[in-house]
Amino acid sequence: MFLNSIAVWRISSFIRKEFRFNLTKNLCCKGIYDADTIFALSSGHGMCGVAVVRVSGPASALVLQSMAGLSRGLPPPRTAVLRNVTDPRSQELLDRGLVLWFPGPRSFTGEDSAEFHLHGGAAVITGVLQALGSVPGVRPAEAGEFTRRAFHAGKLDLTEVEGLGDLIHAETEAQRRQALRQMEGELSRLYQGWSQRLTRSLAHMEAFIDFSEDELIEEGVLNEVDLSVLQLQREIEGHLQDGRRAERLRSGVQAVIAGATNAGKSSFLNLLCQRPAAIVSPTAGTTRDVVETSLNIGGFPVVLSDTAGLRDTGDSVEMEGVRRAKERVQLADVTLVVVDSTQLPQNYQSVQNFLTDHLRSILPNEDDLTASLQRCLLVLNKRDLLSRRTVDGLQKSISQAEGLPLASLLSCQTGDGLDDFLDVFQDRMRTLCGDPLVGSVSLTQARHRCHLQQCVRALSQYHRYRDVDLALAAEGLRLALTSVGRITGKVGAEQILDIIFRDFCIGK
Amino acid sequence: MKSFPFLAGVGGDLPEMSFCRLGCLFTAGLLMLLRRSKLLLSPSSRAAGHLVCRYFDVIVVGGGHAGTEAAAAAARVGAETLLITQKIKTIGVLSCNPSLGGVGKGHLVREVDALDGLCGRAGDWAGIHFSILNRSKGPAVWGPRAQLDRDRYREFIQSELLSTPRLTVLEGAVEGLLVSEPNPDQPGQIKVTGVRIAGGAQPINAKSVILTTGTFLSGALFMGQTVSQGGRMGDPPSCSGLSHTLRETLGLKIGRLRTGTPPRIVKDTVQLSLTKVCPGDKQPTPFSFLNKETRCKPEEQLPCYLTHTTPGVERVVKEGLHLNAHIQQDTKGPRYCPSIESRVLRFPGREQQVWLEPEGVASDLLYPQGLSMTLPPELQLRLIREIPALKQAEIRTPGYGVQYDFVCPTQLSPSLQVKKAQGLFLAGQINGTTGYEEAAAQGLWAGVSAARAALSLPLLALSRTQSYIGVLIDDLIVQGVTEPYRMFTSRAEFRIVLRSDNADLRLSTRGFEEMGCVSMQRYKEAVRMTDGLRDAMAALESISMSCTKWMEKLGQIHLSKTKSAKLNGLELLEYKDVTFEMLASAFPGCLSAYLEFSKRLKIEGLYRPHYMMQEQEMERVRKDENLSLPQDVDYLTLPISLSMEAREVLDRAKPHTLGAATRLPGITPSAIVHLLNYVRKTDKEREQERVHI
Repeated sequence: MFLNSIAVWRISSFIRKEFRFNLTKNLCCKGIYDADTIFALSSGHGMCGVAVVRVSGPASALVLQSMAGLSRGLPPPRTAVLRNVTDPRSQELLDRGLVLWFPGPRSFTGEDSAEFHLHGGAAVITGVLQALGSVPGVRPAEAGEFTRRAFHAGKLDLTEVEGLGDLIHAETEAQRRQALRQMEGELSRLYQGWSQRLTRSLAHMEAFIDFSEDELIEEGVLNEVDLSVLQLQREIEGHLQDGRRAERLRSGVQAVIAGATNAGKSSFLNLLCQRPAAIVSPTAGTTRDVVETSLNIGGFPVVLSDTAGLRDTGDSVEMEGVRRAKERVQLADVTLVVVDSTQLPQNYQSVQNFLTDHLRSILPNEDDLTASLQRCLLVLNKRDLLSRRTVDGLQKSISQAEGLPLASLLSCQTGDGLDDFLDVFQDRMRTLCGDPLVGSVSLTQARHRCHLQQCVRALSQYHRYRDVDLALAAEGLRLALTSVGRITGKVGAEQILDIIFRDFCIGK
Repeated sequence: MKSFPFLAGVGGDLPEMSFCRLGCLFTAGLLMLLRRSKLLLSPSSRAAGHLVCRYFDVIVVGGGHAGTEAAAAAARVGAETLLITQKIKTIGVLSCNPSLGGVGKGHLVREVDALDGLCGRAGDWAGIHFSILNRSKGPAVWGPRAQLDRDRYREFIQSELLSTPRLTVLEGAVEGLLVSEPNPDQPGQIKVTGVRIAGGAQPINAKSVILTTGTFLSGALFMGQTVSQGGRMGDPPSCSGLSHTLRETLGLKIGRLRTGTPPRIVKDTVQLSLTKVCPGDKQPTPFSFLNKETRCKPEEQLPCYLTHTTPGVERVVKEGLHLNAHIQQDTKGPRYCPSIESRVLRFPGREQQVWLEPEGVASDLLYPQGLSMTLPPELQLRLIREIPALKQAEIRTPGYGVQYDFVCPTQLSPSLQVKKAQGLFLAGQINGTTGYEEAAAQGLWAGVSAARAALSLPLLALSRTQSYIGVLIDDLIVQGVTEPYRMFTSRAEFRIVLRSDNADLRLSTRGFEEMGCVSMQRYKEAVRMTDGLRDAMAALESISMSCTKWMEKLGQIHLSKTKSAKLNGLELLEYKDVTFEMLASAFPGCLSAYLEFSKRLKIEGLYRPHYMMQEQEMERVRKDENLSLPQDVDYLTLPISLSMEAREVLDRAKPHTLGAATRLPGITPSAIVHLLNYVRKTDKEREQERVHI
């Protein structure tokens, strides 16, 4: 305990010193504000030989100098050179790979840019992304930010931009789901707690600035803020120190099997993983909790979850199972909806309406059912119980149906139709894993880390200016809150005012 | 067209009055060395009595803080302007508190002044107690504030208006708006072409109309259980016709807000010995960039008095609750200027501050800031007498509450024009704000916009990155209001840059070059200041040496920097105990020429590094704000990929720029990109069309 607090003290004093040093050199703009150099993993996630990490913005040259041992001079523009890639802080060797330098305006974004071509392992990528995040003034890109910068610089023509909105939508969606998955549990509570404390501190600071001349707001308010900020800074620094013990996060595409009771979801899971991972019985409501298993589909990592059948039930255990099932479906990258095909209407014309209604009852549709449908595959089970003629008719009608997700007719009992399904599923995996954000735990971790480091730097600005200029001290809190807000959600001016008016009686 | 007999009738006694007032002011002005640009009644200024014109570029309805700034600004831009008010003698009246400025509000006053508005100079003329609030908290949040002499303030505003070229003042009540088919080349469903005056007179036409009706739009006054029609005690209610036109003819969304004012207390009956005396600053700081000093001499300033409420006050409020119609209504009132009743009910058991403020040099009244109330008069007296210093106090006029209509400001464009109605502009409390300064800021901007529209000049927008006025307008039109809106420094995200000391650098040159609302004299002064500061900063930066050297050179100061690092003069100013004067005496050759800027240089030096850091973020915001979105778009059917939620939000808000769209709740990054794409595309198409023409 004692040792731990010494370590915390050391790092905090290190960060403070470093910050002061930056200011001395009048480079402090690179310290906090110049959050304008961005990086992202540009290659796909999953099994890949080479991973490409892109950097764009004014600090790109600084990144190359400090991470690729190029302090004595940058390589010729647009020429690949083989370099050791190191962590700028510890000088630890991260990888040996190709490095390229694209001085603006002749680059994708029109800004100074750099590329790292690395070995595609998760450890290497994580290491490099985290190292990048620690370079002052460099942060992970927001969804679509590279493309948007290119657009602003006039580097994209209109036809290229056509697909951009959809791309960003997909990225944002994937990021949101990824973030939600990681924000479950302890980590989430921790970040939310920090955000709330910081918001309150800022609100009290702002109240002191805007109202203390007229109102009874004592100087004591600021002392409380001092204490709270110090405490917060220590906690975040401690957390950053503790990074290696961070929660083990599930990596891979999240696929969830969902559907009505007794549709054959668990049989389907067992069929896919070729072992009896889940208990199967003819009794409806057999599966009550989420059964999770890791698979490799065509080289792509998949986490497959079987969930309780969705139905209204009075059984409290089963109710909880249904709740968990629904939660999983909301966070899924792909939902495999299993339907008992013997329950389909005899009349082929009404099959489409039936399936649409069915999907509506299973998929989350608060914001956008169409989006949920795009993330879904239909599995029509129990093909072995249908007559040949019915199978043909059904296949014809679902292939013609519009607005329905891709559907596969198969039998978990005999395995018929499984190959067709796997083709479809692999195809979907390929699309999903081409998106670097799906399942990329390391990127999210790097993002969080970077924002927390920014937050700590901003908090030290608070202390530095506390006795010099309160407006600048408050600026430190605002920046710190913006940084944490990038993890937990933005806090607006109105929310700050709400706290002010709740905590103080402002009368003038 | 026919002539307007009522013009002559109403304005009959006006020239005499204005000449008389101007005469006194002229002498006094010379004596006080106060800079008054348009002091002489110029040959082109006209009082209503001499008018034969029946067609104006701009008509301003209302003579409060918004209306006077609007009329003056429109005339400065070059529009033939008519100000219509119920009573000429109430132009420039301070209806509520006798003070101007404060934290956040002081920024607005200085910005209005930087754009050559009236209120800053009027404040310097009428101020009787000046102070800079937040003096200890950093120059970015300093709040210049003054107690005002009500008579002097009114006199200044009236004389200024009556001597403004191209501005005519008319007494009358506006009954409704004239409307016609809209100009098909511009967005809008209807066009406002003038106003109808009560009393059967002929209507007056104008290209632009600005409404600044304050609390008079369906205003109701509350005292105890009595409710009467009106917007201010002692004035007739305004015509219901206007409210009707806005609601029915224009179909605008209208909301209701409330506010209030405290009773005025007879000074002689207050035991001032039981209060804390708070004098003004030893050296008053003028609001206006044009004034070196205030009219009131430092030693002539009147003090304010601070006292506190007692548990007895709380008791009286609670006993009188059933007699308090205003408090029982659920109309939204402000959280930050609440009546004593709501303060006591919301935070029971607390002692509240009460400021007793002077009302003027010749006034025998005190204004009890913090005691706004709507109880029946006899209970008001009982309440104030629960405060020891007011034990024998007498009330001259009781406090009362006002409830009034406002137009939901999300229906306005960045130029404060009603989106639906071509040529109609709104400013002040009608847009849901509270406060003189907020009203003046909007009035000025509406005046500039309305004049530019009338003169067929392109409309402009003020950015959030450049001014508090920009923040104010953007907040209003993008977020709307749920309670009376007041400015705070916490609303400005670029607070370090938007300071009260540099409002002239931010706005005056633009005001002259782009907006046309700034006089040559002010422009020259702003250019001189900008150049002077730039040269001085360059000179400071040219002096660079190690900390040790600096300490040798300057003596007494201590620098905690590492020895090796070099610092230049500007960076040195970041240190608390380093002043420009110290540097100038060490390097008189290159710095002493800039001694007049020493205070401002100290502030620039302090914030310089942070300014440069915020520049980038400001640039990003500006980029988005420069991308304007067309106003005639039907977002519900626009053939681009948008979610239904985004469509509804956009349809409701009809944002003017991409920047405004990003600040709307519920708009995702992908929606922004689709919009961006759409804007670029339509821009390109328009460009091509232009080429074809």
